[in-house]
Amino acid sequence: MDSMQALPLVRKGGCLVKPILTVSNASFQVRKQHILHGVDFTIGRGQIVGVLGASGCGKTSLLNLIAGITRSTSGIVSVNYDGQETEIVGPGPDRGIVYQAYGLYPFLTSVENVAFGLKLHLTTIPRRMWGQVTGFWRRLRREHLKHAEELLVRFGLGDAVHKYPHELSGGMRQRVAIAQALIMKPQILLLDEPFGALDEATREDLQRMLLVLYEENIQAVGQGKPAPHTILLVTHAISEAIFVGDRVMGLSRHWNWEEQGFSSCPGATVVYDKVAPVFNSTDSVDFEKFFGQKNEIAQLVFDEKVRVRPQDHCTFWSQVRVNHGHGVTHDV
Amino acid sequence: MSRKATWVIGTASILLLLALYTRLSIHQHMINPTDTTIPTWMQMSEGISKIFAAQPRTGDRWIVEDVLATLSRLGFGLGIGVFIAFALGMSMGVWRWMEAFFLPILSLFAKIPPTAMMAVFFTLFGTELKMYGAIIAFGVIPTLAQTIYLGLKDIAEERIDKARTLGASTTEIIFCIMFPQILPKLLDAIRLQIGPAMVFLIAAEVLVGDVGFGYRIRLQSRLLNMNVVYPYLAYLALFGFGMDMGMRWIQCKLCPWYAKGGVS
Ligand SMILES: Nc1ncnc2c1ncn2[C@@H]1O[C@H](COP(=O)(O)OP(=O)(O)OP(=O)(O)O)[C@@H](O)[C@H]1O
Ligand SMILES: [Mg+2]
Repeated sequence: MDSMQALPLVRKGGCLVKPILTVSNASFQVRKQHILHGVDFTIGRGQIVGVLGASGCGKTSLLNLIAGITRSTSGIVSVNYDGQETEIVGPGPDRGIVYQAYGLYPFLTSVENVAFGLKLHLTTIPRRMWGQVTGFWRRLRREHLKHAEELLVRFGLGDAVHKYPHELSGGMRQRVAIAQALIMKPQILLLDEPFGALDEATREDLQRMLLVLYEENIQAVGQGKPAPHTILLVTHAISEAIFVGDRVMGLSRHWNWEEQGFSSCPGATVVYDKVAPVFNSTDSVDFEKFFGQKNEIAQLVFDEKVRVRPQDHCTFWSQVRVNHGHGVTHDV
Repeated sequence: MSRKATWVIGTASILLLLALYTRLSIHQHMINPTDTTIPTWMQMSEGISKIFAAQPRTGDRWIVEDVLATLSRLGFGLGIGVFIAFALGMSMGVWRWMEAFFLPILSLFAKIPPTAMMAVFFTLFGTELKMYGAIIAFGVIPTLAQTIYLGLKDIAEERIDKARTLGASTTEIIFCIMFPQILPKLLDAIRLQIGPAMVFLIAAEVLVGDVGFGYRIRLQSRLLNMNVVYPYLAYLALFGFGMDMGMRWIQCKLCPWYAKGGVS
């Protein structure tokens, strides 16, 4: 399929798009339940990919494979940060994750929640205990908290720094959760329906926050530097995926597995993978602009009666090669 | 209802209780002037001074002896009970095989009334401190261990997974995530178990004690010295109040998020 092409991916004009995440032919089963089958794609550094799919089709399972929380039954999930392809064998701070709920620890204030990863990743319990004695941990801790507070202020959460999660609104909580993941400077950020429980206005605010991150990517690429944020955004809202993503992928169980000789569905696979329009964080949401694509996705990804031929609609990299679309994978 | 009104009504209920008692004791003494089962306030104050007075031969004071004995037994019993329950509950919540191994034992023991088990502990440990400790521990362990273990099972899996993506080791998951998450529930459970622990302790003291609250109450009630027994009961009630408030205070200090209304 599409990602099988030679790597690195060549962009028109001779620039390189560095692949950062490759899922090749991954399948996933839990207790004889077939959840994912032959999932195959490559994501370039700096992309925001909207991942769509009906409820229960395996979106969270896919993110868990990438996060390393579960392992695929077959196939390989690998990352490539510095030219070295490495298979994912477990969770790590290079891949941050944000869930719809339960992301924050109720016993920590916002700033402690954000600094939590620094504490867990950079020190160990014995080192912290010894550090209590020597005063080393107190100094380091103060730095961590300062860093976390700066990040919160940047996200417009200056008033919430010392509040506990239950004292925050849903939107503030998700901002803190994103800050908690971003402080680790993850190479890949996995968002699992992060705005699912928010009202429309708050949702849009947070979507624009992601677009600001995308603008940082474009800026970095323009200066010849590696883009800092690569994001997979799982959502069930088609417009959200199109608005935030520069690429939209759809997972579905309704593909032509009968033609492939399966007697029952072997699991969901990627049935849709195309370029999405790129918006600036200050652009108004122009529904006209993605009306056609929205209908196309509704039919191919969410309609239970269709039997999609995946190869027909997974054309992202071919679109890139003919310079179709905008964003980090294109000439900026 | 306003705070003030609540206070006024609360005070009134206590005053009413005291008034009724006064009425009852006056009535009883009209029938039988030498009665000691419902002592007058006069007799009561004699009893209280007896409690606090130094004994002629030994120089000991009942209240000092009894408080020391009962408190140390309670502290010792609760201490080992909480320690064992903590170790048991945590390991059952973290490791499946520990859960499979200990759950049947725990459920079985939880069904035996600890007061019925006293006979076993008397024969095993005599009448020393460790016997009281064993009875209290046996009584509180099942509830405490199950509170911890069920609390751990309740923790959303996302919380654990998230911690692993933040670079937490297994030890850190246990001590930096699971433990703080269940701590307020554990403190609540300990607070609620102080009552039952006192029941087991007093019962054991009544049966075999030679010092302590249960012993004193039994002895003095046999002698019909109710002017000693009633103050002792009042001290027990006050002690219960104090412990309750103390535990709440500790919970507020250790888990401010929980006291502010956060849920785990
Ligand atoms: N650990 C597990 N044990 C059993 N079944 C599981 C497990 N994890 C996932 N599943 C099953 O796999 C399927 C896909 O689940 P998944 O959570 O990945 O879907 P999803 O696309 O994220 O759904 P949603 O949109 O509701 O979040 C579901 O049918 C679910 O019941
Ligand atoms: Mg999901």
